[in-house]
Amino acid sequence: MSLPLVRILVDRVVGALVVLCVMVAAIPVLVLFLFVIIKGFPGLLTPGFFTDPPHPQGVPGGGVLNAIIGTLEIVGIGSLLAVPVGALIGIFLSEYGRNQVGDTVRFISDVLTGLPSIAFGIFGYTVVVLTTHHFSALSASIALAVLMLPVILRATETALLLIPNSLREAGLALGAPRWRVTLEIVVPAALGGIVTGALLAMARAAGETAPLLFTAFGNDIVQTNPQQPIGALALTIYRNALLPYHNLQDQAWAAALLLVILVATTNILARVYVRRMQR
Amino acid sequence: MSRGTAERVVPTPLVAASHQRRFVLGDRIFRAMAYAAALLVMVIAVIFLIALVIPALPAITRFGLGFFATRTWDPVRNEFGALTPIYGTLVTSAIALLIAFPIGLGAALFLAEDARLRLLRGPLSFLIELLAGIPSVVIGLWAFFTLTPLMRNNVDPFLQHALGFLPLFRGTPSGYGFLTAGLVLAIMVLPIMIALSRDVIRAVPRELREASLALGATNAETIWSVILPYARVGITGAVLLSLGRALGETIAVTMVIGNTMQISTSLFATGYTLPSVIANEFTEANGTLYLGSLFYLGVVLVLITIAVNVLARLLIWRFSGSGRAMA
Amino acid sequence: MKRVLIALSVGASVLLAACGGTSVANNPSTGGPVAITPPAAALTGAGATFPGPFYDAARFAYNLKFSQVTVNYQAVGSGAGIQQLTKKLVDFGASDVPMNPTELTAAGGSDAVVQIASTLGTESLAYNLPGVSNGQLKLTPKTIAGIFLGTIKNWNDPALAADNSGVSLPNQAITVVHRSDGSGTTYIFTDYLSTVSSDWKSKVGKGKSVSWPVGQGASGNAAVATRITQTPGAIGYVELAYVLQTNMTQASLQNHDGQFVIPSPDGATAAASQFPAVSPTQFSIVDAPGQKSAPISGYSWLMLYKDQADKTKGTALVDYLDWLVTDGQSYATNVHYAKLPTNMVKADIISLKTVTSGGAALLPSNAPAPS
Repeated sequence: MSLPLVRILVDRVVGALVVLCVMVAAIPVLVLFLFVIIKGFPGLLTPGFFTDPPHPQGVPGGGVLNAIIGTLEIVGIGSLLAVPVGALIGIFLSEYGRNQVGDTVRFISDVLTGLPSIAFGIFGYTVVVLTTHHFSALSASIALAVLMLPVILRATETALLLIPNSLREAGLALGAPRWRVTLEIVVPAALGGIVTGALLAMARAAGETAPLLFTAFGNDIVQTNPQQPIGALALTIYRNALLPYHNLQDQAWAAALLLVILVATTNILARVYVRRMQR
Repeated sequence: MSRGTAERVVPTPLVAASHQRRFVLGDRIFRAMAYAAALLVMVIAVIFLIALVIPALPAITRFGLGFFATRTWDPVRNEFGALTPIYGTLVTSAIALLIAFPIGLGAALFLAEDARLRLLRGPLSFLIELLAGIPSVVIGLWAFFTLTPLMRNNVDPFLQHALGFLPLFRGTPSGYGFLTAGLVLAIMVLPIMIALSRDVIRAVPRELREASLALGATNAETIWSVILPYARVGITGAVLLSLGRALGETIAVTMVIGNTMQISTSLFATGYTLPSVIANEFTEANGTLYLGSLFYLGVVLVLITIAVNVLARLLIWRFSGSGRAMA
Repeated sequence: MKRVLIALSVGASVLLAACGGTSVANNPSTGGPVAITPPAAALTGAGATFPGPFYDAARFAYNLKFSQVTVNYQAVGSGAGIQQLTKKLVDFGASDVPMNPTELTAAGGSDAVVQIASTLGTESLAYNLPGVSNGQLKLTPKTIAGIFLGTIKNWNDPALAADNSGVSLPNQAITVVHRSDGSGTTYIFTDYLSTVSSDWKSKVGKGKSVSWPVGQGASGNAAVATRITQTPGAIGYVELAYVLQTNMTQASLQNHDGQFVIPSPDGATAAASQFPAVSPTQFSIVDAPGQKSAPISGYSWLMLYKDQADKTKGTALVDYLDWLVTDGQSYATNVHYAKLPTNMVKADIISLKTVTSGGAALLPSNAPAPS
């Protein structure tokens, strides 16, 4: 029994459209990667890119050392703040959070995830910069920590929820108190998921720019003092893009390549890990 | 993930009794710490609210709701209104969804269930997920240097040639403006649209699909008559979540919107969005009214984003019947 | 090749100048030079993009000379610079227009803030017209006002053709680019337009931020320059250094005396020489008379608090600024700014000597003022 031609045609066309859509959807990322690699790679090879801070026009050399160190520092401090707290909240949600308090926390976390990133910059500015009377790496770290918190929190809760109850019951049956069961049995079992969540959150934080505009302020000098303004790769890209100097534009592309490599690596690691766990 | 998997296991009286004296302290401390962490989240939320709303009060009391209907944004005369950036935000988001919705839905249909080209599903899915992780500033950088000339020299003139009778495509294209920003936003929300739609489509019961095919419907007809209607609520949720993302996107848009405080019917015109105004003018706003107006814009932005996000999650949650984590 | 040579020579001279010369005071007993060595400090400044290239070259050279002092300057715009200084978030602010009475009040009164001129520059009208080379386009006050008011919308407008016989101006819409941030460069430009066009004065006026009748906005001198280079048919006002450093095309501007000049540091010096009595309250030098005067010129200013809370930082700050207005001026010409005239340097040093911490002046009273 063959179908009327029209129906077959429609089916084929829709089938083709659907394939077209997914191909089109895959194009932007490929194009982005292509451009960032082609335009960014030469910048990586320029002498001084990794070892120098920016130089004034006319002075040879110059690079983004200040930004690399800055990004590492603010993401590092931000993670130190967000990961333990986020993990603890995630533990709370999965082990103690089947109640209204837990629901409120989840709601707030969802809200925070959806906020425009500039809101975190305003938060960091009002809460830290204005009270300490200077722009600082610390204020940027705090803004990023609040940004990372919901991601880590959710990832921890999800990872812990995946651990079967039999593990908890076994621990309790052996006589361990609940807190030891949680900390010494359940969390280690879920550690992979928690670490993956933390890594993804850190990768996201490294790429954020808006929270840094009114907190980190930017610094062309290599420094690590958390009380001082600091540079970051995202800031360098954002500001250099708008400058008319070709060497600085090239540095922006190269810095973008660095960020993209970071993000891609983290994502690949996360995927590989998830796949290994599923076996 | 259904809510049932981690049921609370209450220690049996035997186990509990034997440790009551020695370890209840440990449990108490841990429990307290966990609750304290939860409390911290609520404190952060409250601080957030205060930090955003209080500085906005001078503008809220001065302009009230008329803020939303006023076009002027004049720091010299201290008259501010949100209409112009709201217009820009809405237009760019609308363009983004118009582009991302059909493409995203189509891609999701392929990734969710298509029997053909199964080998490609994994890599394609990976590539699209990767797009979600690319920092906004990198996309903005690419858009600024590569997309704007392309728009100005190729796409915009073509559109003007073909559709120039519409007021949407009048005026001289500069490569910056609403259309370019909308396109950039489309690229950025595409991964979310695809990922969520795919999950929603996958959640459609197999039996329904198989029943439809068994009755002789083609794949296309099954999609149109069975899957999409069933998944309608969830897909709306996906669209809303994408909208929420588009509304709040700051950096990539700021780099291509043109930073002009104007409303225009032409998509080639440059304009402003709510986050862009804040990003550009925040550090130089002098006076409580100017700064307050910027905070007021921030309050508006945050409220809209929260409302859209909450609605979206309600729809998706209700549809998928679960509280699965969506980061 | 030529650009590489220029870049290398500029770079070399920056390095050489840093190795030579010292910031000096006069030793009271011998009368010979005494170097002012600053204490260790990390200074933060914010503000104008107009003097950006100069400040960048200067702070780099100063740090090569005195590695214990780092100066982090972020060119976020004059408006933002003044705001950050007022909120005491930075050590010094920079703006192409001194603080007005409202801003001074917000900062604690006109006695609370010291304002010094740091450099002298001039603005160009840069344009992107592929067939029209550097200096070929002639603009008069009337046509400039017309373009920015939106009454002249196309490059082939008769008003433009009248001044540009022999130059073929295309049939292309003019894309005006202006600043989207609060800008001293805008102030100087709109000051000029208000002076030469009563139309502009009544319709728009002058200010760091104005309600532009037409055009798109970009944030910072550099961003305006970038926008112009990327948009055919665009024109905008940009500080000269950016135009020269990036090889943009700029217009010949008709000055007060009717001469068409291409903006240059010498033009700025010529303009400034017409106004010997410049101060933070009387600072405009636009539309200056004189054959060689560049019409859209202006000083750029640095502001700091008179009473420095942190003595070490304050000392380093005044030492740096003292160097900047004296020896540091040698870095100006390489990056296309004009050196401060002697009278301004004198006035600056006198102002710097009033900066105190805990009651004590931070700059030695024998710090040199040029004779």
